[in-house]
Amino acid sequence: MNAAQFPAREPTDWTTDAMQRRIRARYRAEKRFRIYGLFAVLLSAGFLAFLLITMLSSGARGFTQTEIALPVDFAASDIFLEPAQLEGGDRDQLLAGADFQGLAEQTAIDAYGEDGTMLISNGAWLRLREAVADDPELLRREERIWVQASTEVDFAARGADGLHMTDERRAMIDRYAQLEADGNVRRGLSWTFLSSADSSDPTLVGIWGAFKGSLLTMIVTIALAFPVGVLAAVYLEEYAPKNRWTDLIEVSINNLAAVPSIIFGLLGLAVFINTFHLPRSAAIVGGLTLALMTMPVIVIAGRNAIKTVPPSIRDAALGVGASPVQVLTHHVLPLSLPGILTGTIIGMSRALGETAPLLLIGMRAFVPSPPSGFTDAATVLPVQIFLWSDELDPGFVEKTSAAIIVLLVFLLAMNGIAIWLRNKYEQRW
Amino acid sequence: MNDEIAAPATDRIAIPPETLKMTARDVDVFYGAKQAIEKVSIDIGMDHVTAFIGPSGCGKSTFLRTLNRMNDTIPIARVTGQIELDGENIYDASMDVVQLRARVGMVFQKPNPFPKSIFENVAYGPRIHGLSTSKAELEEIVEKSLVRAGLWDEVKDRLTESGTALSGGQQQRLCIARAIAVDPEVILMDEPCSALDPIATAKIEELIHELRGRYAIVIVTHNMQQAARVSQRTAFFHLGTLVEYGETSDLFTNPQKERTKDYITGRYG
Amino acid sequence: MSLFSLFFLILGLAAIGWITARMRAMRMRPAAPAPRPHSLPGYHGWYVALWLAIPALAFLVLWSILMPGLVEQWVLASPAAQALPAADIQRTAILSEAHALADGSLSAAFNEEARALVPAFQEANSFYGTIGIVATLLLAFAGGGFAFLRVRPDFRARNRVEKLVMWVLLLASLIAILTTVGIVASLLFETIVFFDRISITEFLFGTHWNPQSATAGGDEGSFGAIPLFWGTILIGAIIAMIVAIPLGLMSAVYLTQYARPRVRSIMKPVLEILAGVPTVVYGYFAALTVAPAVRDFAVNILGVSSASSESAIAAGVVMGVMIIPFVSSMADDSLAAVPGAMRDGSLAMGATSSETIKRVLIPAALPGIVGGVLLAVSRAIGETMIVVMAAGLAANLTANPFESVTTVTVQIVQLLTGDQEFNSSKTLAAFALGLVLFIVTLLLNIIALSVVKRFREAYE
Repeated sequence: MNAAQFPAREPTDWTTDAMQRRIRARYRAEKRFRIYGLFAVLLSAGFLAFLLITMLSSGARGFTQTEIALPVDFAASDIFLEPAQLEGGDRDQLLAGADFQGLAEQTAIDAYGEDGTMLISNGAWLRLREAVADDPELLRREERIWVQASTEVDFAARGADGLHMTDERRAMIDRYAQLEADGNVRRGLSWTFLSSADSSDPTLVGIWGAFKGSLLTMIVTIALAFPVGVLAAVYLEEYAPKNRWTDLIEVSINNLAAVPSIIFGLLGLAVFINTFHLPRSAAIVGGLTLALMTMPVIVIAGRNAIKTVPPSIRDAALGVGASPVQVLTHHVLPLSLPGILTGTIIGMSRALGETAPLLLIGMRAFVPSPPSGFTDAATVLPVQIFLWSDELDPGFVEKTSAAIIVLLVFLLAMNGIAIWLRNKYEQRW
Repeated sequence: MNDEIAAPATDRIAIPPETLKMTARDVDVFYGAKQAIEKVSIDIGMDHVTAFIGPSGCGKSTFLRTLNRMNDTIPIARVTGQIELDGENIYDASMDVVQLRARVGMVFQKPNPFPKSIFENVAYGPRIHGLSTSKAELEEIVEKSLVRAGLWDEVKDRLTESGTALSGGQQQRLCIARAIAVDPEVILMDEPCSALDPIATAKIEELIHELRGRYAIVIVTHNMQQAARVSQRTAFFHLGTLVEYGETSDLFTNPQKERTKDYITGRYG
Repeated sequence: MSLFSLFFLILGLAAIGWITARMRAMRMRPAAPAPRPHSLPGYHGWYVALWLAIPALAFLVLWSILMPGLVEQWVLASPAAQALPAADIQRTAILSEAHALADGSLSAAFNEEARALVPAFQEANSFYGTIGIVATLLLAFAGGGFAFLRVRPDFRARNRVEKLVMWVLLLASLIAILTTVGIVASLLFETIVFFDRISITEFLFGTHWNPQSATAGGDEGSFGAIPLFWGTILIGAIIAMIVAIPLGLMSAVYLTQYARPRVRSIMKPVLEILAGVPTVVYGYFAALTVAPAVRDFAVNILGVSSASSESAIAAGVVMGVMIIPFVSSMADDSLAAVPGAMRDGSLAMGATSSETIKRVLIPAALPGIVGGVLLAVSRAIGETMIVVMAAGLAANLTANPFESVTTVTVQIVQLLTGDQEFNSSKTLAAFALGLVLFIVTLLLNIIALSVVKRFREAYE
């Protein structure tokens, strides 16, 4: 070692101008870099905030509706029904045969002039029919009935806010002011939106149908994915021998978790619908497809949860003579359940928000009445959002956003529960 | 034991002002609410190797890290008291940490070469501090540093290989080369041989001998034989306090304090 | 009796079997010195219950899958079905209407033909339904009886039950393989049929995509998928990554290296919410808000007259935002995996934090970050809803991000929705596209995971 061959270098002079300038430049670069980082975080969060605010501000109105009063004179109308007739068993048929639609339109014209039909929703007459079904005595008298107003009136109720103004629109706004002054319109929470299903008229649509479809689909999904996922996780983590087969299972599961969701849609179409001839558009097929997609998520979460149970617990149980299955059911499963449940909820919330695979198995059908069973044609919330977003009628915009709010509230609630579970039961060994 | 703490620990050392490099006065270090270092005062001279010894957890490494403000990287750490480098308080607001660390280099317990080539490892410091104006000059600095670290002959034909591919001892010498490439005035070594085998350790110790005089070297070690071999002055730390500081030969043969004696005779450690 | 209530009946029977077998086993307990029975009574109960329920339920499931097909065959063979129109769509509509009439979910018929089919449907339903019920119950009683007779003190019920549990566990994990095989088989099968009609080279290297002109009659459309691949790459691998990589990486750097713990604990979940927002919401947002803004910007400010309201850039940017949390969490993990000693080593030489990050931490974490980016790309090119809603259908081969391009996933959805016959080249093409997508994402995932794995091992 001949370090001596180099003379000691002069110590660096940090006080020279050049050196000090350099250091200042380095600190500026440091600050800039830090600001870039902050900017990235804020931009990402800002985008989220922008998205949520956009949805909330345009969606809040989706939960409301404008109603307009129709002074309906049933007694003088073309509906020749007697209250007594409606007591019988053929009530529905009689009601279906009566021309309530004509009555509603005529009343609107009588009350609000030649273009009166423009003010009421296409489905307004259904309200008249329901009213008569509830109270047949109405047929003998005149009654002021509140019906859904048309989209144009609904927009006018909003005023000039944010819309592209046309002459018709301006005229409608003036007209709305007049109606309001006369007490002929009112605004309120839309019961229709919360209780009915799809429709081609934005004033008549509701999310209940899609919500019920989502519920049925999720029931099928969890009923299949949870037991299978947990059992597979248990097998792989606790009992599986280390061989080529179990390696293959592991690789399959890890890859399935990363396969694009639309591929599961193709699988569902080819297998459940074209091979097993299960009904198209039904909750059961949607649930099966989503179950295949969710299962790997549950398996992976389940394995991680089981891994955290320390081996000493298993040894202790085996030491007192418990059988392997007893070790599992008495100790390992109860201890890892919170983790498994957290993973399940996260997988389910992903399934709840999933759209693409369901489009392929026909769940994009127009379903005007809520499904009553697993094999009925159904749609789900995200698909409903997609369908409404495609509608040309501007009245659908706020309904779509409102449906998005409903979906996001559910997802948020599910994730909240998952986080709460994790924090409450998380155990450190 | 009270009388021991009351007496100034630096009594037995008189460092002439012209070789005085760093001084510490009444330094306390807190980790959150826990006090890790209590009232440590010490002088470090230019032309000696100073060893910090003591049982593990005694605060010797913590104190070492205050000397180039590496404790700043731990959010909960707080340092009070005064530490001066050439008369400048290094905890002063006007002290620039970047310059300070360039002047007070550090070698860690575990060799930590960057996952870059050997050349890039050594060139890292000169590059970030702008110590070279040309590629040739940079190459010269790298060669010089590797020569001084005694690694040149072993790596001169494979400078482009990854620094992490070297053996443990070579990695540690690479880290020393990396530290001296910025021409520091002080080199702090935190148990530099604890992760190495005896042969590699011997090489590092030999290197410390070579470097002595050119840099003020402070080495933390839990190995008393090593302290005796490489240092001229030794400070004994115990439970966060500096118990005794003296000429190495003096301290090992004739400890003044009961606790020092217990430690070097192996009563605890 | 519906198959559904039969299901619960079987479960009820199994419960009864469990209780009686357990009681029988309890009564066998010997009074004095005889050896204790091998298994606890509960295991005898489980043994009987499982024997009772599993074969019966397995048959029930199989039957409920097979039955609709059998019923339909029966109905089609009936004389009333001879009058059905030949056209597939009408025929299916009438059949399903008759089905609804037969089970009472529809009260009035629109088609006379449907009404005529109702008796045949009801007949077939009751015939096959009865067979199903009888066979299920027979299986249940046979299984339960067989097991019940074996309940004896020396019978090793626990071992049997546990062995069965093992089989069930193994079976559950085999479903993963089955799903994979199902995916590969269904994609491959249809794709092979497709390549019988359209040459594989035309599909993979052709530059003209116009499947709409394909009909069942034999007129073949053009199936050159290059514009689709390009559109997918432009949106998913280029535009989305230009947004996601810098934002995701810098977010991770800021949150791990600079932010105070409190800020980190708030901002990290906030970024994760971005990944939890359903893609249909992103799609709606892209189509409603971002796309018009991008088009106006391009037309009015940049003067790009060809800018489309279904531009690649609108879909790509929104997709990039969706991907940010993937990139940032992978980068976060990778940065955290770099040993702290390396950071200390750099800081101790007087490097600033940003110099340490740029010159030491990011290079050291690079393999992990690259792996994360590959996973993100695989995620982006398989993403469907954003592009379906915000990107177009026009198969343009353009590098101008303001123009409209289409992607593989958009075309899959397009080809498989609406009225279509299952065997047309159009639907088969969707499966071929699906196979390409599957293979590409699979390869990306395998590469990414192995890169990340090797990276992790390097620092352990």
